[in-house]
Amino acid sequence: MPTGFEALDAQLPGAGWPRRALTELLLPHPGVGEIRLVAPSLAATQRAGRLVMLFDPPTTLSAGALAHLGFAVEDLLVINTRNRARIQGAAGTDSLWALEQALKSGHVGAVLAWLPPRLRAERLRRLQLAAQAHDGPAFVLCEMSAAQRPTAAPLRLALRASGADALAVRVLKRRGPMLEAPLQLTLPPVLSAVAQQRAKAGVAPADAAVYAPAKQAASLRAVTLVNLAIG
Amino acid sequence: MLWIAIHLPLLSLESFAATLSLDAAAQPLALIDAQAILAVNAPARALGVKPGFKRATALALAPQLTLGLADLVRDAQALTAVAHAALAFTPMVVIQPDDPPHTVLLEVQASLRYFGGLPALQLRLKDALAPLGHRLHIVSASTPLGAALLARVQPDLDCADQAATNRALARAPVWLLGPGRAHWEALQGMGLHTIDDLKRVPRDGLARRFGPVVLDELDRATGARPDPREPVTLPPTFDSRLELFARADTTEQLMHGAAVLLARLVAWLSAQHAFVRRFTLVMEHEKRSRHDAPGSGITTLEVALAEPSRDSAHLLVLLRERLSQLQLPAPTLDLRLHAEDIARRAAPNTELFPTPAAEHEGLTRLIERLQARLGREQVQRLVPVRDHRPEHATAWRTADAQMRPARPRATEQATSHEGANAAHLVRPVWLLQKPEPLPERDVAGERGLWCEGQPLLLLSGPERIESGWWDFEAVARDYYIAQLPGGALVWIFRERVPAAGANLSWFLQGRFG
Repeated sequence: MPTGFEALDAQLPGAGWPRRALTELLLPHPGVGEIRLVAPSLAATQRAGRLVMLFDPPTTLSAGALAHLGFAVEDLLVINTRNRARIQGAAGTDSLWALEQALKSGHVGAVLAWLPPRLRAERLRRLQLAAQAHDGPAFVLCEMSAAQRPTAAPLRLALRASGADALAVRVLKRRGPMLEAPLQLTLPPVLSAVAQQRAKAGVAPADAAVYAPAKQAASLRAVTLVNLAIG
Repeated sequence: MLWIAIHLPLLSLESFAATLSLDAAAQPLALIDAQAILAVNAPARALGVKPGFKRATALALAPQLTLGLADLVRDAQALTAVAHAALAFTPMVVIQPDDPPHTVLLEVQASLRYFGGLPALQLRLKDALAPLGHRLHIVSASTPLGAALLARVQPDLDCADQAATNRALARAPVWLLGPGRAHWEALQGMGLHTIDDLKRVPRDGLARRFGPVVLDELDRATGARPDPREPVTLPPTFDSRLELFARADTTEQLMHGAAVLLARLVAWLSAQHAFVRRFTLVMEHEKRSRHDAPGSGITTLEVALAEPSRDSAHLLVLLRERLSQLQLPAPTLDLRLHAEDIARRAAPNTELFPTPAAEHEGLTRLIERLQARLGREQVQRLVPVRDHRPEHATAWRTADAQMRPARPRATEQATSHEGANAAHLVRPVWLLQKPEPLPERDVAGERGLWCEGQPLLLLSGPERIESGWWDFEAVARDYYIAQLPGGALVWIFRERVPAAGANLSWFLQGRFG
């Protein structure tokens, strides 16, 4: 299943997202560009006439933004067990059950699931077993600290924002040799060309260890002034 | 004419076991009438309990024996389900009017070709009856009475024509004939043991001694006299009841009884080649006090299906999930299953390879299962709304289990929606449910915006959104895209009219995922 990013396809075994297996994505927080990373493959799944299911998204999704990324928004199926878990006090069990059912059925095109924090490794192994019946990509998103525990998923990537509209992908586990350097992917842009120039000028380069707040604040004030002038 | 007789030798015992929970039904059981054991199940037989024992003898041998009474109404309901399952094979199904009835008769001559011969038909018949869980004697013969009589003594027999039927009947014991049972001792004394012996004695003498009924029955069994039968008719609504032997405290204990009732429902459905759309399980509870109103101790559970079905495994999964959600007010004594909303249509094709239709059906079942366990409102669909305010631009609808993924129309709509939203009107994927206030801090003499302990860098904006005065949630905001030091982009806004008493005017609205 092509990812839609050539640089990533070149590094993944089978030149794309694996089918019949989990792909574990580790994020520091929602909103690093994870949706833009998986959007091309999920939108392609929808165009092929198959169902894409989301499990327990962390906050509200914006339909307009998803449509902009190429999703057929009304055909997404979202399973939201957070409210129920809050009432019943058993966080995550319903979500894992629902995810396992969807994977086992083999009729779903692709799944994108936000797993409860501090998930035990055997729970993930159970999902990986269920995913063998699932003909399509299956993304599970975990918190960054999950990198400490072993995983049953054959592919594990750590995502980090690296500048505006850019994503650094570290391949923590794959079938094949280790990959030392993180991949730099250019995401579909949110910013206009002018704003990107501004971001490049204003932000410290990614390799610089020290961040200079004064410089940042100065540019903030400048931008604010410009904006007020326009407004 | 070819008749198949399905005789249920253990009907009363099996219908008694259906009223027990699953593990209790696997314990030693016996059916009792007037202090004598009538029938026992396999675990009881292993302990040495045999039919004909006195009650005290049986209890001395097996103190843990569960004793039940035969219930004619209960047996009749179980037998009706067998007749319904048989109706899927031929319209001519008769319940043999014995006392009490234990036999169902089917005339299958006209169905043989369709089902591919008698052995194939018997195999399908056994498969269809298997969920009802009865021990069966299946005998085919050329007369209905002949088949019914032979099924009482033979577990499995095929008589292809009248001659074979008569040969099999000739060897059968004479007590099989109804009136013969009353005169059993007299016949023994006359040295008449088999039906063949009976046929050898002069008919007029037999008629004078035992009445014309013996001869009449003998003639009908051997085909010498016509034997017209009236077929059973299918009731327009399904209604089956099961009184539980022990009160069920948990919903899990109800599942065995519910499974029995569902198997009967599936038999009723297959008789008319129909699929159920909704069914109701009524649970009658023990009364807490005798002042309770008659209707108070009743819980009604309605299960509605998106896709009509008669797959008992699927129905059972749905019912189990719904039952596990339910808090029962008191122990349950009585179960009733009711169904009338059915869909008649052709059976789905069975396919070797997956097809879009099979996938659609599989998805419908998956969504139904998720809805049954999680509740309908947890399975959602996103709907874009034409509203400029980001909080109102997305609506949630509960998903319909029938939804088909990626209709071409919807994708067109999505692209046109994208076109309407000019390319520069970007929106973040993640929206905070409630905008989060952002503090302004002074660092090294410069005033700056902070988010989660990190300074923000404004990159583009403002985009002014001023709308919603008509529904009292008016907003007047200037939106900016800002960057966190790591590079992640966030969407923030400034209130143009700060709320009274609040000195914070910057808020975090969303994140670009």
